[in-house]
Amino acid sequence: MSRRFSMGLKLIPFAFAASMIASAAQAETIMLYTSQPEADASKTIEEFRKANPGIDVQVYRSGTSDILSKLAAEFAAGAPQPDVLFIADAVSMELLKKDGRLAAYKEANTTGFSPEAYDADKTYFGSKLITTGIAYNTGAPKKPQHWQDLADSSYKGMIVMPSPLYSGAAAYMLSGFAAKPEYGWGYFEKLKANDTLAVRGNGAVLKSVASGEKPYGILVDFMALNAKAKGSPIEFVFPEEGVPAVTEPVAIMSTAKNPAGAKKFIDFILSDAGQKLALSQGYLPAKENVGRPSWLPQDAKIKIMPIDIKAVLQRTEEDKKKFSDLFGG
Amino acid sequence: MAVSISRVQASPELPAPASLKKSLPSEWMLTGFVVAIVVVLSILPMLRLIQEIIAPGGKLSTAAIEAGLANPATWTATWHSLVVGFGGTALAVFFGTTIAILVSLTDVRGRSAFVLCYVTPLMIAPQVTALAWLQLFGPASPLLKLLGIAPPLGSRNPLYSPEGIILLLGVQYGPLVFLMVRAGLRKLPRELIEAALAGGASRWTTLRTVILPLMTPAIIGASALVFVSCVGNFGIPAFLGIPANYLVLPTLIYQRLAGAGPSVLAEVAFLSVLIGLIAMAGIVAQDIISRRRDYRITSTSLPAEPFELGRYRILTEVIMWAVVVIILVLPLLGLFLTSIVPGYGIPLSAKTATLSNYSFVLFDHAGAKSAFFNSSLLSVGAAVFAVLIAVPLGYFIAWRMSWWTKFLNLTIELPYALPGVVLAIAALLLFLKPIPVINLHIYNTVWIILYAYLARFMVLALRPTVSGFHQIDRSLEEAAQVAGAGFFMRLRTIIFPLVAPVAVAGGLLIFMTALSELTVSALLWSSGSETIGVVIFSFEQGGDSSYAAAISMITVVLTFLVMLASNLLAPHLPNGVLPWRD
Repeated sequence: MSRRFSMGLKLIPFAFAASMIASAAQAETIMLYTSQPEADASKTIEEFRKANPGIDVQVYRSGTSDILSKLAAEFAAGAPQPDVLFIADAVSMELLKKDGRLAAYKEANTTGFSPEAYDADKTYFGSKLITTGIAYNTGAPKKPQHWQDLADSSYKGMIVMPSPLYSGAAAYMLSGFAAKPEYGWGYFEKLKANDTLAVRGNGAVLKSVASGEKPYGILVDFMALNAKAKGSPIEFVFPEEGVPAVTEPVAIMSTAKNPAGAKKFIDFILSDAGQKLALSQGYLPAKENVGRPSWLPQDAKIKIMPIDIKAVLQRTEEDKKKFSDLFGG
Repeated sequence: MAVSISRVQASPELPAPASLKKSLPSEWMLTGFVVAIVVVLSILPMLRLIQEIIAPGGKLSTAAIEAGLANPATWTATWHSLVVGFGGTALAVFFGTTIAILVSLTDVRGRSAFVLCYVTPLMIAPQVTALAWLQLFGPASPLLKLLGIAPPLGSRNPLYSPEGIILLLGVQYGPLVFLMVRAGLRKLPRELIEAALAGGASRWTTLRTVILPLMTPAIIGASALVFVSCVGNFGIPAFLGIPANYLVLPTLIYQRLAGAGPSVLAEVAFLSVLIGLIAMAGIVAQDIISRRRDYRITSTSLPAEPFELGRYRILTEVIMWAVVVIILVLPLLGLFLTSIVPGYGIPLSAKTATLSNYSFVLFDHAGAKSAFFNSSLLSVGAAVFAVLIAVPLGYFIAWRMSWWTKFLNLTIELPYALPGVVLAIAALLLFLKPIPVINLHIYNTVWIILYAYLARFMVLALRPTVSGFHQIDRSLEEAAQVAGAGFFMRLRTIIFPLVAPVAVAGGLLIFMTALSELTVSALLWSSGSETIGVVIFSFEQGGDSSYAAAISMITVVLTFLVMLASNLLAPHLPNGVLPWRD
């Protein structure tokens, strides 16, 4: 009897080690870095797994700018982790493409996508159209309609925006606006003078506006309009002078450990099933024949602000730094 | 949980007869096993951490230290850590001591129920406390909206501030002070109080000149402990400080590591040693202060006659229960209301209330589902392993006093006494590369978290087990030994059954602590190994407070159920093992 007990005690470490090995040796895996909101990312992966039962997806989720800094550190250390990137905007993808970090996927099926939606070299593929506009709490005293309204001193202390140091859509907007003569850096200086709060991501902006902590915010369309559909006291405006739009592209890393699995992920995002999933999550899918979200009527007029991606690419790093100096953090 | 850094007292046992001291091979094997566990869980991670600071990559260098010292963010965060550390400690000591005196020395009624309610916040994870309190303020508070007294749009939640952090640290750790001071008051010699009163001193003077001075060691000990807990706390400054851009050392470490990954390990290792040093300074200061005077109490006697509060009794009772309502009932109500709101800012009514947040986190969200599985596995695993190790370890510490068992005990205390981030960083450094020889890679798996939980919470099972051993008459085991039973036989048939209730109670404490743990897992989790604490945190950071509230409510209910289950063990336990039992 006593011997059996001693065996049991000795076996514990072995059983421990054995189960660790078992969990280390897994089926096929891809590593995904994404900036999708927590709930959407998790749904996307779940649907991908259903379509590709043999592939396990490991995910790291954060804001696009945050992911870029993490990647920069990984490049420096010589060990980039992800196989697939699924982040907010094409500019960030161009930054990576310039350094040869993205692999081309020539055979990707882009039927039904407009040529502006994806990179001509087929290194990244836009999956949807996400615009940034103005959101406000329905209980708020004012109803802002134009970008310049937010620069008015009557909004002082009431505005929240996503930090470009965290969000890719916000970084795109920052450089897009700063490069335009009618806005320029003066616009952000006025926002700062209005005590605008820059927070970590669009999700935090939504919470702040809907809860009324800051009744006005710069926010992406689908978040505001999905929340409105659920009954939140929030209204969304596409200012008529134009809204910046990002495409939430997906790409394969040139250092991918599992390029075959990564291609399957791209296939899924570009497939009808993947595009319909985006639609069901309340996004405007890039594949036009899939349909439009219910918040966007057929006759809706949304003016997309023309923004030169190449110009943004030139200045985005410098603009982010300038923003960091101006707004702190 | 009782987080006291207790020194084990020498049991008043007689030396065993020489013939019994002869060690058997099986006993030596177990000794080796116990020592190996302690080395792996406590000594190795600390040595690895120190190596990273003074000799990164194997060569002596002061580069990491210099870089850390030169960075202004280090000093801002250090200053913030000290501010909330001292502030939270002061508040916790004030609340805890006042309430301990009221409960122990006066004739207030309903004591057991009050103690249960007052101590409960200690059993709830700090990030859940923070989330619950956040729901009480601000223009979106469902409770304030129901009452129609929500502040106007644009007003900021006042808890997003250093004052908010200090307040919640005081609420979270006040019960810790209460438990330690209450234990001290139980030993208060009745004669001294009666002498003072008979000599004509008023009750106020007696309190000031007799009781409080006698309680100094308990209060100082509690202060040091609370200070360490406050500077090491991650959940509260993460929820209240990060949105206000008010970073303390643990949240600075988290942000650096989450943003840049393992490349900043040397930098965060320096920060974690810094916070470890601050914590140790607190403990050392306590040691120095309590040595300056002799506080020994000579007699143990009956508890003192309670002070009669007379017409103030009702008032005192009302105030005490109001405190319970404020620190326990209202925050949990706020948390519950937020968990049934369908979306941000939607006013709550019978029509809008929904359970969809619960069904989302329980059935739809893959990360939350895997978190429930992981956290259950981790907390049960940590509890079971800890109990299995604590029994032989406690045996050596309690019944085989020698210099090395004392050392063993101190060593196993270390990972718990130091802030959680210190251990987390040490575990990262230890397991970033595969373990040599067996080539096992546990970084980015759930096993690195299990390792860290075991190292950190081991002592929660060990302490009650040691105090259990001190209460058991050793003659049974000696009789078995004389009758020829081998060590494992005695361990299995005599020792384990005798201390089982205490060890299991310790295991339950570990289970409750580990279930929604955040500090360690926030730094060690990866996709697929997320814990409940991490999922609550990422929902809240992404702005999904309703989901975070729903998961938090589930963990609170689970904690209550485990507390109830542990009460069944109470008749078999020494005093003080279950902190919420008076």
